[in-house]
Amino acid sequence: MTTYIIRRLLYTIPIVFGVLLLTFILFKVVPGDPAIQIAGKGASPQVIEEVRQEYGLSKPLFLSWDSQFLNHLKNALTFDFGRALDREQVIDKIKRGLGPSLAITIPMFLGILIISVGMSLFVAFARGTVWDVLVVVICVAGMSIPYLSFILFGQYFLAYKWWIFPVFFEPDLPLYKCAALPVLIGVAAGLGANLHFYRTVMLDEMRNDYVRTAFAKGLSTKRVLFKHVLKNAMVPIITRVTLTIPYLFLGSLLLERFFGIPGLGYLMVEATSSRDYFVINAMTYISAILFVIFNLLADICYALVDPRVSFE
Amino acid sequence: MTRHEGCPSSIFHRLSFCRGIHKAIKDYALKFVVLISISVILFTGCGADPNRDPNELVIHSVLPSKIGTLDPGNWESIYEHIVLAQIFEPLYEYHYLKRPYEVVPLLADGMPQVSDDMLIYTIKIKNGVYFHDDPCFQDGKGRELKASDFIYSLKRIANIRYLSKNWWLFEDRIVGLDEFREYTKTCQSEEDVDYCRPVEGMQIPDDYTLVIKLKKPWPQLIYVLTYQAVALAKEAVDYYGQDVISHPVGTGPFMLKTWHRGSYIDLVRNPNFRKDYYPTQGQQQDAEQGLLDDAGETMPFVDRIIFRIIEEDQPRWFLFLRGQIDNIIIPKDNFGQAIAASMDLTPAMTKRNIRFNTFRQPSTLYIGFNLEDKILGANKPLREAISYALDRAKYIELFWNSRDEIAHGLIPPVMNSYNPLDLPQGPVRGPQAGMAWPTARDGPDIKKMGLAILRIGQRYDPEKAEQLVRQAQKIYGLRQGLRLSSAERPQPSRGKLPTLKLSMAGTDIMARQIGQFWQRCLKDAGLDVEVEYLDLATFLNKIRTKSAQMFYCLWTADYPDAESFLQLFHSKNVSPGVNSFNYRSPEFDKLYEKASCMPDCPARVELYRQAEQIIIRDCPAAFINHPVAYMLYHDWLGNYKPHAFQFGLVKYHKIDKRKRDAYKELVKGTPFRKKMAKWEPKKIK
Amino acid sequence: MNNQQNKTEMAPKGISLWQDGLRKPARRTSLWVGGLHRRKLAMASFVIIVVYFLLAGLIYVGEIFNWQWAAVKWSEQIGKQYQPPSAQHIFGTDIFGQSVFRKTLYGAKISLTVALCASFVSIAIGVPLGALAGYFRGIIDDIIVWIYSTLSSIPYILLILAFAVVLRDRTLFGHKLTGITSVYLAIGLTSWVGLCRLIRGEVIKHKERQYVLAARSYGCSNSRIIFRHLLPNVFHLVIIDFSIRFVAFIHAEVILSFLGLGEANRPSWGAMINDARIEMSRGVWWQMAAATLAIFFISLALNIFGDALRDCLDPKLRIQ
Repeated sequence: MTTYIIRRLLYTIPIVFGVLLLTFILFKVVPGDPAIQIAGKGASPQVIEEVRQEYGLSKPLFLSWDSQFLNHLKNALTFDFGRALDREQVIDKIKRGLGPSLAITIPMFLGILIISVGMSLFVAFARGTVWDVLVVVICVAGMSIPYLSFILFGQYFLAYKWWIFPVFFEPDLPLYKCAALPVLIGVAAGLGANLHFYRTVMLDEMRNDYVRTAFAKGLSTKRVLFKHVLKNAMVPIITRVTLTIPYLFLGSLLLERFFGIPGLGYLMVEATSSRDYFVINAMTYISAILFVIFNLLADICYALVDPRVSFE
Repeated sequence: MTRHEGCPSSIFHRLSFCRGIHKAIKDYALKFVVLISISVILFTGCGADPNRDPNELVIHSVLPSKIGTLDPGNWESIYEHIVLAQIFEPLYEYHYLKRPYEVVPLLADGMPQVSDDMLIYTIKIKNGVYFHDDPCFQDGKGRELKASDFIYSLKRIANIRYLSKNWWLFEDRIVGLDEFREYTKTCQSEEDVDYCRPVEGMQIPDDYTLVIKLKKPWPQLIYVLTYQAVALAKEAVDYYGQDVISHPVGTGPFMLKTWHRGSYIDLVRNPNFRKDYYPTQGQQQDAEQGLLDDAGETMPFVDRIIFRIIEEDQPRWFLFLRGQIDNIIIPKDNFGQAIAASMDLTPAMTKRNIRFNTFRQPSTLYIGFNLEDKILGANKPLREAISYALDRAKYIELFWNSRDEIAHGLIPPVMNSYNPLDLPQGPVRGPQAGMAWPTARDGPDIKKMGLAILRIGQRYDPEKAEQLVRQAQKIYGLRQGLRLSSAERPQPSRGKLPTLKLSMAGTDIMARQIGQFWQRCLKDAGLDVEVEYLDLATFLNKIRTKSAQMFYCLWTADYPDAESFLQLFHSKNVSPGVNSFNYRSPEFDKLYEKASCMPDCPARVELYRQAEQIIIRDCPAAFINHPVAYMLYHDWLGNYKPHAFQFGLVKYHKIDKRKRDAYKELVKGTPFRKKMAKWEPKKIK
Repeated sequence: MNNQQNKTEMAPKGISLWQDGLRKPARRTSLWVGGLHRRKLAMASFVIIVVYFLLAGLIYVGEIFNWQWAAVKWSEQIGKQYQPPSAQHIFGTDIFGQSVFRKTLYGAKISLTVALCASFVSIAIGVPLGALAGYFRGIIDDIIVWIYSTLSSIPYILLILAFAVVLRDRTLFGHKLTGITSVYLAIGLTSWVGLCRLIRGEVIKHKERQYVLAARSYGCSNSRIIFRHLLPNVFHLVIIDFSIRFVAFIHAEVILSFLGLGEANRPSWGAMINDARIEMSRGVWWQMAAATLAIFFISLALNIFGDALRDCLDPKLRIQ
């Protein structure tokens, strides 16, 4: 087991390297000279050149000991993210955005998880009834309506017209009040796809022979469902859950943008549109590390839960 | 439809079943959930209510965009300036009430003494001005302001390691400052720069006198000193280093209390503020409107300012209606709710005692042409055709609620060198604030009709547009033919013009709608245009690297001198400078250079107008409109008069707390359904 | 017992997977109860999908040949601005007085083109790479897995934005890339990963099958084995993935419109929904409603049909 983990960890090194390489290339290839932006309006060519020197943008890209790429690697490995275009520490920005982001994504995630798993178990139990049909309708309808429509609809009616929730993030209000509506909308919008997945998983499990045997043995439905089906269905569930966790840190882009919640998703969109290379770099690196870690965790969980899987 | 055997259908069992589910999930994930819940609860501590003393007077203002820095040497956007101007003070300011705009001393003691050759400015500094109390000073008490602080401010902007965005204003102006900048290039980092190194053009004969020597006459210096080179304490920069962007230490009437980045900025009154008095003079109508009631009183009148940052229009409007923001520029989509067709307030507004003010902005919106572009550059009929094809009146009606003024030239009406309209447009209704010069607005001036001929190109004339497009096609076909060798040369073709490209800054809905509108206008004239929507950084980049063909842009003057507009066309400012048109005209350059060294006088106004005529003739841009802002404000905000160039205005404002509390009660009291009916905007017919 | 219904009937000999799938009614109550219901619904969905595609195709052809058909002339001003839906204007008008109905029809073309092109790009990249990786294993496999692991570690939005910006003004094979083209290339370039993984897994499984060993034994070249033997047997996965991804791409177009990428000069569903953000405050709801309904029906149809297809084509069901 430990050798497996170590092997997998070693394997993540080229991936992290690959991520750093890719972000570096993307941002050097993308047209747009950060020096022009930093130098401000009305700057003459000499000033822009001076700025370029100052930020090390005129050093060679790869082929020297002082190349930009090596500096990029060095900064990433020492977690030195530097300062953003507006001179604030990137770390401070990230720390500030983390709270609001998590305040939305975690309740959303938990809400969807609990409702989906619960409802799919229920449906596995009550298959073929009206409830099943209803659940399927919710699933498919939820998957077919665009996310944006959910947000617009929810915002317009629940906040704007009926004044149940605040329309927008207001710094005076406590965070949970501002996050309530985005969480609600997020749960409603994300329910369809997740419910469909869990339902399929449960039903697939139900088809297995051992279930038939269990019922034949005379076990009660509850017992069968909880002791056998749920445990076996846990494998895909856990995999999916573990792989979703890194996304929690990135924040929900659309919800934050719409409701003005100052989280990491908002930070990322802003950084991309203002070409803030430093922020984007930092965020990509952190999310890549998180992805890699949680992928590993998913694999380990998978191996732990399913004894059939060997460490190969 | 079969039922599973052993499956009771009673609700009771289903309920217990549900409980079972929850128990199971909790069993599996209990620890995880608890951990996360704790952290969520901890996080909800963020954004809690700031402490409020119920008796303090607070102004609630709003900024429509995030600000990046509170460092006065490096501010870029106007919103940063709005906040900074309450904390830092420059040498001069504009008179709050007098129009036309007049510069009066602020930290300076009297207007500057200017030598006869206009090269040497002697400025005296007031005594007894103290910086804010801050840990960066010895024993936390702010020290007195000296003339050397202004020199430090200027040197800092010149410091290349500091990378100030405002250096371009001072480049090649002050004797010795460029050499200082060269010296800073030899230093390793910002901290290594020795600010005591003397600069020949900035001398301090004594602690309270500053002498600036210029390389050539710069009459706009007095204006530049109203917003640059503010009093900044060197101790703060040394103490905080790069974090000085969030620790501003100035001499102004307000101090920074909290800056919750991206959400709000909280400023509190400076307890050690020197005695500064409300102006005693103003325009005629100011006395009637009660703007002189506090004449001679000490400022500021409020204890606290809270700037909220709300980027979307609708939430801002909403908060304004609820009384949580004191003033607002009416968003385009809510205009109908606030202003009726007669250009007066709607009853819904007057019922709530909301007032409004119109205010001309010193800006011009235009579509610029890149004269180095192969297609547009040598094809003047094409550029004129584009200008004729733009339906300015319809554009203003659709996007600016018909409140803006059509542009017929470069310089907006708020400037004193504005060339009066010969085509009548109708008066700007509503209480006028900021009228610089009385202009011929009440009807066509027959004598000046002749000038209409000179206004080539800058108006809407679709037939002329089509005519010119045909002409342009001929020219283009000819030039295409010329490019091929004589053997291959076909007949001079009336080839169709290739698709033109218009770059817009902004990917939001309004930008897209405006872009589509221009597309339609140009299509009606027979021109094929593709619009691209870019974020601001890419847009600026494109312009500065000369790769844009046509671009839609706004230019706002920084001071009430038309030179601020004319500098856009000087050949030395060609991209990556501000001359994004890459316009080069020796005739224009000569006029500009002559005029920019003259003080304000009728001869200079004449020169400015001539220069403007040259631009209109050469058509490097199609000028579209001059924005007029409609501001709404609640009746508890007193002493409110919008200003085009001055931003440190909050010290003049005052709040009537009783009126605000009464309004809030009004809003809260009604139950939710009745609220709906009461506040429901009228359906747009 | 429920499971009795799930008993599969063994396929008669000699019939291919495809024929068998299309011939038989449902075997599994995955979506609805009773085979009869399912069959009807799947057929109805198929009809809807065909209608959408026909519409998009007709508009596409109409634009090229300049037919004077209403949906092609979406930019014509037919009324005053912001008219609510009425007998005259089915879905009302927008800010310029254009017909929202016509814009919706035209939007079908844009959305379907984006989704189709992005699907083709991702299939064109994902399938070969997956097959290569699964078949050859070794160093090729390692490299390909490294590439797609790296790509999937970077946040999706970032990749799309970066790609779209990079591709913006370039020319590819002599054809200039304008706004929307770069977007669907970007979407395609970032979504081949899932398909690649799937194909790779299947190919690894199939590689050890009898028929592959047999083919190799009589001297089949590698490329022949891959293209003539392996790929047809895993292609059903591609179809299933295609139908699921298609919906995702249509929705992605909406989100990208919101972020500022997306078709700028022509109407698209994403742009219409995006416009609704400020129009709703004026009480103008019809643009958003029209676009949402349009997207809803095609997504619904694709989801149902995709599910039905999966049931038909999934060979797991045959081997009980």
